[in-house]
Amino acid sequence: MDFLSLAMDTAKSLGADYADIRIQRSSTEMIYLRNLSLKNTSLNEIYGYGIRVFKDGAWGFAHNSVFTADAMNKTVKKAYAIAKESGRIKYGDGLILAHERGYIDSYKTQFRIDPFDVPLSEKVELMMEVNKTMLNFAEIKLAVFMLECRKDEKLFASTLGSRLDIQTVYIEPTLTATAVAEGDSQSRTYSHGGQAKGWEWVQSLNLTDKAVQVAEEAILKVHADSLGAEERKTLLLDPNHMALTMHESVGHPTELDRVLGWEADFAGISFATPEKLGNYQYGSKIVNFIADNTLVGGIATAGYDDDGVPNQKWYIIKDGILNEYGNTRATAPLIGLKMSRGCNRATNYFDFPINRIPNLYLQPGKEKLSPQELIADTEDGVYIEGRGSFSIDQHRENFQFGGDMFWEIKNGKKVRPLKKILYKSNNPEFWNSVDAICDERYFQTFGVTNCGKGQPGQRGRMTHGGALARFRYIRVGGSK
Amino acid sequence: MITFKEMQKAAEYIRKNVAADDYNFSINGSEDLLTRFAQNGITQHISGNKLNVNLSVAFDNKNGQASGNNLDLDSLKYLIKTAQSMAKLNQSDPEFVQSEPAHKLPDVNNYAKNTADLPMEKIVDDILKCVKNAKGKGAKLSGISQKHVYDTFLTTKNGFEGFDRSTSFSHSMTMKKEGVETKVSRSVKDHVNFSMQKMIEQLNSQFDSLNNPLQIEKGKIPVILRPAAVLNWLFYLIWTFDRRTADEGHTPFTDQIGKQFFGEKFTFRSRLDDPDLEASKFLNGGIPAENIDWVVNGVLKNMSATRYYAKKNDLKALRPYNIIVDGGDTTEEEMMKMVGRGVIINNFWYIRPTDRKTGEWTGLTRDGVLYFEDGKIQKSVTNFRWNEILHDATKRILAMGPSIQQEYYAKVPTLLIDDFNFVDVTTF
Ligand SMILES: [Zn+2]
Repeated sequence: MDFLSLAMDTAKSLGADYADIRIQRSSTEMIYLRNLSLKNTSLNEIYGYGIRVFKDGAWGFAHNSVFTADAMNKTVKKAYAIAKESGRIKYGDGLILAHERGYIDSYKTQFRIDPFDVPLSEKVELMMEVNKTMLNFAEIKLAVFMLECRKDEKLFASTLGSRLDIQTVYIEPTLTATAVAEGDSQSRTYSHGGQAKGWEWVQSLNLTDKAVQVAEEAILKVHADSLGAEERKTLLLDPNHMALTMHESVGHPTELDRVLGWEADFAGISFATPEKLGNYQYGSKIVNFIADNTLVGGIATAGYDDDGVPNQKWYIIKDGILNEYGNTRATAPLIGLKMSRGCNRATNYFDFPINRIPNLYLQPGKEKLSPQELIADTEDGVYIEGRGSFSIDQHRENFQFGGDMFWEIKNGKKVRPLKKILYKSNNPEFWNSVDAICDERYFQTFGVTNCGKGQPGQRGRMTHGGALARFRYIRVGGSK
Repeated sequence: MITFKEMQKAAEYIRKNVAADDYNFSINGSEDLLTRFAQNGITQHISGNKLNVNLSVAFDNKNGQASGNNLDLDSLKYLIKTAQSMAKLNQSDPEFVQSEPAHKLPDVNNYAKNTADLPMEKIVDDILKCVKNAKGKGAKLSGISQKHVYDTFLTTKNGFEGFDRSTSFSHSMTMKKEGVETKVSRSVKDHVNFSMQKMIEQLNSQFDSLNNPLQIEKGKIPVILRPAAVLNWLFYLIWTFDRRTADEGHTPFTDQIGKQFFGEKFTFRSRLDDPDLEASKFLNGGIPAENIDWVVNGVLKNMSATRYYAKKNDLKALRPYNIIVDGGDTTEEEMMKMVGRGVIINNFWYIRPTDRKTGEWTGLTRDGVLYFEDGKIQKSVTNFRWNEILHDATKRILAMGPSIQQEYYAKVPTLLIDDFNFVDVTTF
């Protein structure tokens, strides 16, 4: 049965101004290994469809997992009735959807080895080996390996005539070693976040070697000193760490729904309001942020978003100036835009798509610069690797970050490990303090798969990236 | 929704067809209606039923688990095949625990027909009232109303069977006009105990007390934490409230059981017999819930434990299934007179650990901060960032208001705490 056409025909016959359907199967394999104990070895598959109906400037959404003509018709009718009910409390004079056309297309994440085809025994064997490697170190008291593989198979149709067949995959291995000594407990993690790649990527990572490095650094860290009271210092931030800072301080504030106040009750709003477009000095002149949902390996890359808008690439910040937002068909017209940038995404079939951060990265420096040269050029500072504590206000101005590993830099050299380091900064101080970014040879990407947003909350995903960068005169100190 | 009979029928199929040595079979279903609004208009409106059908099996001590969202025979067959083949390919789990036997479960009523029958039109009517109120103040309102009916069903190879149907209704809304931004939220299991009029009044009272905020210096300042703020930090306390990670040396709770770890005024329990609060009938794979004291007069009594860890160490395999923090009888007016100056905090935001071992957390204030001096509110002030060892802060509790129902699973008081550690200020 052609459920897509059935649903769209029913929606049109009811008088919907626009409607779409997403039939989605989401498969998640999780393996969670803690000190050689397999706490979770599971495969979850959820399969169903969500139908959006737009009528007189208001949305209705209904979902179901029963695939019969009768159930589908009922679900369309329910979505239509909900849209009519929503129309009793219209947003302004009613929402308008940005112009779009229909597409008949397909998209598939590129990979050689489907992670779901790799036998469980092979995955568990690798994970056990990594766990044992970590536990060979006497001071490592906790070794955790979490592996998540996810596949989403989507069929999308809209009353604009779109028919899309989309399959995306990501893999996320996370290794953590925790050392306990001297009354303290400190951990170190190896992770690239989620990556839209095949199992061949995991095979290329040499995770057993990474386990040794992570365990050794956790031990270094547990015995390390901290810094004293907060003072202004230079920071060198690695791309894994920056993935989180850019996510929080650039990604979220430039989501147009937040700018418009749609997330005011929970996730929050944004200081980066529309009158700042084209003139606000978000960062220094060498700071360019690119939104790129066409990025190969990016976990927001899917060919099209859940509005049926093609993936695109554009500047969020250009030469330090706030340039544009990430938006959706319903938000773009509210600031006078004719077309959407295609950032509307839902997590599961039963979720309503919301304005999401695109794949977003800091463009590498245009002049040749290696991490070694950047360290050698830094007199006194702290080098931070990986993600740690993070907290930012609901307007996305004031923030405090930790990290996963810290090194003191003195006279151009990494002199000692540190622990319990926190820095405080804010927009626009932070990105304006950037005075050097390593070049494209050192560009790396890191996925974020646990971006919490929306009411009810959805778990979103996107990729960030950059090369080692230097930030001047930031408030840095030890936590007490 | 799926009926109890259909669940039992599926359980029977599993019983007959699982070849593994052990299994747990659970069904979690929900019926949801979610009406979301922003800037005085509905922006998202969802209805539908969800289902999670989960089978975990074990051959000897090798586990495998599969789950889906369908209950038909083909789906059940697929779950059995998938879970069993995963278990066969898996390695042994040294911490494997057999499934629970039959238990007598406590008599708890988590279901309210009023909530289950609440029609969409009534929810929209109520939101319309809230929006009209906001418009009357020249303000913008954003938030969500949610109605849920939840089913929880679990059966095991060793004879456990448990079922519970529960309901909840929740409403939250943030009103904003220029620099004034404040929020109220509340949830109940029985909609009959919910008054939108009272929520509007509370919102208006918070909103009217605030002005465009002025900045004051950061530092150690006495705070009056209102219940939403208290509950927010308790969530994070509970996040790390695990016996095993404490015993293994990763958290501040190491070797603290039986000791005066919190302040004397701090008592925290979970209760089955509070008529207003929802309480699980069973937890953690079939452990019957029971009344439990976590902290009494500052002494750490119990912490969460998994079934494996509880069996190994002769502990109760429980977790905080609801939250009751004892209160006192001090009013906010009296609190303001007890300290020279301080701030009233409606809520916290973005709480994260900064040092897991010492139990230091960071976070910000949100939804309006009021500065008081000489026993009176003086002005609205901008938000703060704080870095604070939260269990130490309970030692600085000077007074408590009555414990009130904040959510369908929580009763907490307003707390007056001395010298809260504010480390930064925001511009708004
Ligand atoms: Zn996020």
